[in-house]
Amino acid sequence: MRNANKLPKIKLHPFPHVIVKDFLDSATLDLAIDALAGLEYDFKESDLFSYWASIDLTDINHPAINILRNDIGDDTWRKKVAKSFKVKQFSSIDLAAYVYGQGDFLLPHDDQVEGRIIAYSLHLTPEITEETGGALNIFKANKEGKSKLVDSILPEYNSLILFEVSDHSWHQVSEITSDIQRLTLTGWYYA
Amino acid sequence: MPEINVYYLESPTLSNLNRIFNSGDIPFIRLSKFFESPPEASEPKLTRQERIGYYNRQEGSAILTDFWESSTFIKFLEDATGLKPKLREANHLCYSAGDYSLLHAEESESRRLTVAYDFTKTWEQEWGGYDLYTSPNKNPLICNRDPGSLMIVKLEKADLSCTRYVSQTSVSIAQLDKIVYDLV
Repeated sequence: MRNANKLPKIKLHPFPHVIVKDFLDSATLDLAIDALAGLEYDFKESDLFSYWASIDLTDINHPAINILRNDIGDDTWRKKVAKSFKVKQFSSIDLAAYVYGQGDFLLPHDDQVEGRIIAYSLHLTPEITEETGGALNIFKANKEGKSKLVDSILPEYNSLILFEVSDHSWHQVSEITSDIQRLTLTGWYYA
Repeated sequence: MPEINVYYLESPTLSNLNRIFNSGDIPFIRLSKFFESPPEASEPKLTRQERIGYYNRQEGSAILTDFWESSTFIKFLEDATGLKPKLREANHLCYSAGDYSLLHAEESESRRLTVAYDFTKTWEQEWGGYDLYTSPNKNPLICNRDPGSLMIVKLEKADLSCTRYVSQTSVSIAQLDKIVYDLV
């Protein structure tokens, strides 16, 4: 079950984003981690990224994943997210699990794909520090494409990070530089 | 001006290079120890160039600009590839830890011949920083850093290239003269 019942105040700079701490209760958290750890992950690599990804979990019928999908995407939570970000109601969500191991990364990008309104990532790794890598870096970029690192968010265990997708939403996952596995459940809320 | 390794100027070698170049999915040849002796790498004036989501690296004028536009080298390119290249631009590019370029940075490029000479001093493969060439429906071409080697690649309009993200663990810098020739 969801532990969090409301979203904190949205930070607007450099683009709207928020961190919801202690998102799941401990029983659901254990269930979620067990379920995601039991999935198969394929290594994905391109010029932009290097990570391990599960299959698309949007329509998978699995007891623990059904609970997770509900906690992130039920009507009540969707309405709260839409209201907090001051955007229209969502029609759907998707979700998949990602693991970043040593050397993996995701370079700066803005997530813009038709229909995506809000991006989310539920963080399920306890040991992320500045030394391990795996921070969510968010940037402000000018018209020429020069960027400034505005914030480096070290994802806390059991925190849900959400941000509004736009042509300003430049972010990256910093390279993992130690022997950890950064596990997230990630997806988008769609128009 | 540096001198091309005489081996690469012999007729049988050029004939072989031409055959190899034109037999690849993506036409390319890679020539190790391209110069008789490694050219002295002067310290070019570099500036940080960034377009977020496209590239982040240091750039300056090519170290061997005079050579890349010389009739000697143009003649060599013609013999080795069978093409008629015309110099468009010659730059020195440096990728240090965290730097990258992405394939879509070249989406508006026309048909071209690219030449990359590797000035990198030392490199470990796990640092990334390799050159990647792609063409629709063909296997990508990966060119690891190889100090002293020259890479010649023909790219069509829809073909793309980039330099892979350099790991934060890298203690060296990928350095290359990258030259683009238009094909007439």
